[in-house]
Amino acid sequence: MGRRAGVVKPELFMTRNLGLVEPRRIGSRTGRIRFDPATGRWRKGAVKVALNGVRSEMAVQEKELTSKRKSTGPVRLFVGLPLDAVSDCNAVNHAKAIAAGLRALKLLGAHGVELPVWWGVAAAGDWSTYLSLASMVRDAGLRLRVSLHLHASRLPAFPLPDWVSRLADANPDLLFTDRSGRRHSDCLSLAVDDLPVLDGKTPLQAFEEFFLSFRSAFSDFIGSTITDISVSLGPNGELRYPSFPPSTGSHRFTGVGEFQCYDKYMLADLKRHAEEAGNPLWGLTGPHDAPEYNQSPDSGNFFRDNGGSWEGPYGNFFLSWYSGQLLSHGDRMLSTASKVFGDLPVTLSAKVPLSHWWHDTRSRPAQLTAGFYNTYGRDGYDAIGEMFAKNSCAMIIPGMDLLDKEQPHGLKSSPESLLSQIMKACEKRGVMVSGENSLHVGIGAEGFKRIKEILSAENSSVDSFTYHRMGAYFFSPEHWPLFTEFVRSMAHPEIDSDDLPCNEEEKLSLSADMVPENDREMQAV
Amino acid sequence: MSIVRWRPVLHQPPREKPRFPPREPRRWNVLCPIRYPKPVFPASRGVSNNYARKALRIVRAGLAPTPSLADAAETEVLFSETFPLKRTQTVEGKISVRLDPAEGDGSRWRLAVGCNLQGQWVLHWGVTYCDDLVSEWDQPPPEMRPPGSIPIKDYAIETPLKKSSSALEGQILHEVHIDFDSNSPIAAIHFVLKEEETGAWFQHKGRDFRISLKDFIEEDNASSGKQGFGIWLGTFDQISSLLVKAEGSSSKPQETVGEAKVTKWQNRHIQGFYEEYSLLKQEYLQNFMTVTVRKSDKSDKNIVQFDTDIPGDVVVHWGVCRDNGKKWEIPPAPHPPATKIFRRKALQTLLQPKTNGLGKWGLFLLDKGISGVLFVLKLNEYTWLNNMGTDFYIPLTSASSSSIQTRQDGTANEQLTWTEPQDMRHGQAQDVINARSEASFIQKSKTGVSENSSNNEETNQAVVHAAYADEIIYEIRNLVTDISSGKGKGTKSKEAQENILQEIEKLAAEAYSIFRSSSPNFVEESVTDAESLKPAVKLCSGTGSGFEILCQGFNWESHKSGRWYSELSAKAKELSSLGFTIIWLPPPTESVSPEGYMPKDLYNLNSRYGNMEELKDIVKRFHEVGIKVLGDVVLNHRCAHYQNQNGVWNIFGGRLNWDDRAIVADDPHFQGRGNKSSGDNFHAAPNIDHSQEFVRNDLKEWLRWLRREVGYDGWRLDFVRGFWGGYVKDYLEASEPYFAVGEYWDSLSYTYGGMDHNQDAHRQRIVDWINATNGTAGAFDVTTKGILHTALEKCEYWRLSDQKGKPPGVVGWWPSRAVTFIENHDTGSTQGHWRFPSGKEMQGYAYILTHPGTPAVFYDHVFSHYQQEISRLISLRHQKKIHCRSMVKITKAERDVYAAEIDEKIAVKIGPGHCEPSNSPKKWVLTAEGKEYKVWEAS
Repeated sequence: MGRRAGVVKPELFMTRNLGLVEPRRIGSRTGRIRFDPATGRWRKGAVKVALNGVRSEMAVQEKELTSKRKSTGPVRLFVGLPLDAVSDCNAVNHAKAIAAGLRALKLLGAHGVELPVWWGVAAAGDWSTYLSLASMVRDAGLRLRVSLHLHASRLPAFPLPDWVSRLADANPDLLFTDRSGRRHSDCLSLAVDDLPVLDGKTPLQAFEEFFLSFRSAFSDFIGSTITDISVSLGPNGELRYPSFPPSTGSHRFTGVGEFQCYDKYMLADLKRHAEEAGNPLWGLTGPHDAPEYNQSPDSGNFFRDNGGSWEGPYGNFFLSWYSGQLLSHGDRMLSTASKVFGDLPVTLSAKVPLSHWWHDTRSRPAQLTAGFYNTYGRDGYDAIGEMFAKNSCAMIIPGMDLLDKEQPHGLKSSPESLLSQIMKACEKRGVMVSGENSLHVGIGAEGFKRIKEILSAENSSVDSFTYHRMGAYFFSPEHWPLFTEFVRSMAHPEIDSDDLPCNEEEKLSLSADMVPENDREMQAV
Repeated sequence: MSIVRWRPVLHQPPREKPRFPPREPRRWNVLCPIRYPKPVFPASRGVSNNYARKALRIVRAGLAPTPSLADAAETEVLFSETFPLKRTQTVEGKISVRLDPAEGDGSRWRLAVGCNLQGQWVLHWGVTYCDDLVSEWDQPPPEMRPPGSIPIKDYAIETPLKKSSSALEGQILHEVHIDFDSNSPIAAIHFVLKEEETGAWFQHKGRDFRISLKDFIEEDNASSGKQGFGIWLGTFDQISSLLVKAEGSSSKPQETVGEAKVTKWQNRHIQGFYEEYSLLKQEYLQNFMTVTVRKSDKSDKNIVQFDTDIPGDVVVHWGVCRDNGKKWEIPPAPHPPATKIFRRKALQTLLQPKTNGLGKWGLFLLDKGISGVLFVLKLNEYTWLNNMGTDFYIPLTSASSSSIQTRQDGTANEQLTWTEPQDMRHGQAQDVINARSEASFIQKSKTGVSENSSNNEETNQAVVHAAYADEIIYEIRNLVTDISSGKGKGTKSKEAQENILQEIEKLAAEAYSIFRSSSPNFVEESVTDAESLKPAVKLCSGTGSGFEILCQGFNWESHKSGRWYSELSAKAKELSSLGFTIIWLPPPTESVSPEGYMPKDLYNLNSRYGNMEELKDIVKRFHEVGIKVLGDVVLNHRCAHYQNQNGVWNIFGGRLNWDDRAIVADDPHFQGRGNKSSGDNFHAAPNIDHSQEFVRNDLKEWLRWLRREVGYDGWRLDFVRGFWGGYVKDYLEASEPYFAVGEYWDSLSYTYGGMDHNQDAHRQRIVDWINATNGTAGAFDVTTKGILHTALEKCEYWRLSDQKGKPPGVVGWWPSRAVTFIENHDTGSTQGHWRFPSGKEMQGYAYILTHPGTPAVFYDHVFSHYQQEISRLISLRHQKKIHCRSMVKITKAERDVYAAEIDEKIAVKIGPGHCEPSNSPKKWVLTAEGKEYKVWEAS
């Protein structure tokens, strides 16, 4: 009896598609929503996977890479490599696990992986470790999205480059500073962008050098393996002020945050700006009545929903300046990046945060402190979208898995409506969107459903989706099946049998000697 | 002689020469019966004849009764087969390193490296020239290279070891000599040994050997000149660093080799020496297991005889099946002697030694109704053998004996082994103990594109890997079957897809296991059975009376006044009357940061909290009111006093004037010359290398001094993630604290799975650390704090019970070592790195102050409006004699309420939901309550 049931199952298997075959009549039957397994065309490709050791060879006939994709193309799926794939001592971590993971992702039909590159690790110009990882990815037949992280991270610990940290120790005003004088050691203040504070260089120049160094080191990969480059615009890579308490990981904090305009350079600019506006008194310091990091919006007068000073002329003055600073910082960074990478056949992108808590208030304090002047009735993201469009840069938006109903009560949080606002701004300005899940929470079936919904929406401008992140949890039995299901369901929902390969050459042949090798590797663990 | 565990790194074990038919023909044969439309491997047809011939060899082994069975010739042999068993054995040998002056010329020296194990040994070596400060590998000058040397890249030489003729029988087998001139500008020789046959590399604790020929220290003008000649651990081989992690976690760091032999010497004077290192090498061995089935003439039973030449204990882990499903069952009693039942699924029978001493044997008597015997062999806890990846299967029915008959025809088709070919698919991931029938059905019904047939050659040996691989595959399969619809695909694409699927599953399982194992020592067994973690002996040290309640006596701002000791001293009486028994004082040493966590001169106890006299006073004061005092000691890192010649801050001053040898080598910021860190690095300051004996001795002496001089009763150990827990054990045994608690704070599970119900991995890491200290210290229960966060914040109180109905934190597994807390100077105070949900602190305290474990209350909460409520809970704890090993019975863990009874004396509920303890067996009286919590006592 059981046996008969067993016989039936394979029939079911073959009905699902692994994403390895491109259906012929995709438009007519399946709609456009699916992950493109690779830009290569598989019908003529033969894949040979030799599982000896860590090598796997992929012979894929590659399609011409188009640098600017049509927005109606399939969503490309990337998976983030561990943040510490290259350790702070510049060595590859978890190489074996990553190699296995890459093969699994390739077979599953992912487009590529995302590689976090830390300024603090590679600033010295030693790219060898990153290059070897990139070759691993290339050899696995995957594409690469490179994130150039110009900020520091606390966990895992990736500090800024030594020399920068030293200079910041000597002159702490290089760092973002809050009202009580605490510094954010993970990222340079945007006020020094154009000041020659780094041994005679401006931070922008230093970043440009870093970009150039990356470009020349990876010239062999760019355009073929590397299809996307994203640059970090601030703390956690996002375009924002570090409005969370110093040295907090971004994920745990859901308070209103504080304004970060208290390093001497920011204050000087504020002063100048106030004088120009004819109100020198406004330029002496930041808002005195804003609450502290963890207090509720009502604690001070500033964010009070009704009659808070954010609505008054001073509030408008300050918030315009504060958000304007962030916007022009973003513009400076992106134009530097597009100066370096603009002529390459890669998609340039940068990330904005999804500061969704307190979105259901009128003042939306979490967004204000982060630098987005997006209060009730005022669209703070249109200008951002415009700035991205101007630099032909795609916008990375995290938190696509978040659901309003799953947010803690009392935070007046609304990730869904904020996300749709930002995406509308992108659509309006013709900016391509690259999605991400929120990095910090385990994602459940609901979350995957939500992502699918967003990616499958009519006319969505989402071009790629990066899933974070590979690691023990990612491959764990609790998570991995959910993820595979997600990927599968994003791949062609139905295909006809004649879409499947029918001659011998096209058959996927798995090298015969892989099993014992692999088996033994697993045993050895 | 120093014993060092050696381990092959880098290379996989060699492929055995095929003892079985080549795999190509077998694949073809496998495919044949299922009428594969077109031969996939046309070439195999050509070879098949060849195959038939070769195959006969083993088949013969399977059919002809072995001579040992001749005595039982009268009974009818239904079946007999000899299975080859491949297993690994660890052989121990030694490597000797000898440095001698060569005969004749006084400046000529000879380095001899020898090894007494069989194998093709190659010395992979290089030198460092004197002017090269970074101690890289370089090729030696040509005159140094022995004949037969091959240059490898531009930095090393490989010289084969020769069989030594001079050595005595059974002594050194292989040796190589390197002659050199002591006047040559060579500072050091590095080497590792390589065994060509297996491709295994042998290093010393994961590092190169290093023979130092020049005194760096003296030449560098550094402070310490007592540097001796000896073997130093050299720069770390980058490639192997990937694999060394595993080694580091399993093998205990040993004493540094050669240090003991330090002799004073003048610059450029070399002293001869001789040193031996033990060496463990894995070798493959071939053994056999013959299984013979005979009809018993006495009764209606079959006799199954096992016969093997494996030395040592052999346990047959077996079950029977009654149909073709190969579903494991336990046969009805009586069982053979020396049999026990394993988890109601299988029997384990210890085989008896044979009379000639060569191997083991056993007889099982089985009913006729049984259609087959399934078994695997267990040699010890870690070594299991199976049949090329599947269970051994012995058919007992007449049907199967007829299948043997057909095989005797000798046609090529019958070369299929008697096990069904499809079964070979199981090999990859099947848990050999637990045959999961659903999964295997699917597998069996697959048409086998036999990538697996090569199993034959290789994976005879299967160390049982944990069930998770199986788990993943199983789940994915289920999932797959849910994805529906569509029909009529070609067979081939089906196969291709199935192959890919399997491949994906396998790879994911592999990646998972590696990622997971890169977190320290995750032992599956200890998850399922926490009790076994508790060491049987040595309970008292470092854990106090069991009735302790701890108060953290400072916050992040306490240094500001400059006179914290006096300020806190004034509160001693109050703290005592609140019921605290232990106070944790801030770090006492001179520190680069005012809060004290960047210590510099350990013996300078003047800090921003006050001077040493004031410290002694406050300790005395607390002792007067009956409170024990914990010192906050930072052992992981230490800030340097001076820069070295490169401008790096790595030279220490003060009474412990260590140099860069006291600093771990793997943080480039500080250019340490010690060993690699045994834990995580803290990057803001030089991390101390605890593997150095002189460092450990100094630290032990320092702790003893603190106990003696200041009067501390115990320790709070800062950032213990930074070094191996075994060192902590050392320190605690030397300083004999009344109470000790370590801060093992990692937040990994929050990076990936803050929402996970199951935080076992997280608490496992903490428990692992406690284990490493041999239970001499407790640890802060970070897991409990984290779970409380989510439970309270999101109103998910069901999280407060784990799958086994125990508390989900460390306190659920090892309560006596768990120091529960909800806030400290890092998580809360003005830093707020991970603040407890605001306004819900009392729920947290209602939990930890009623539950087992040793609760710790944060200063900020003691002196806040919560004081009354906290005080009430503490006095209740004392009054009801709740202690760190009290029993918890969780009575409710639902969305909005959690309730538990402790020692049947106290009942507690937290959360907004309603819950009252049932008054039927005993009466409960409400005794304390506050916002969203209530506590009752049994009356």
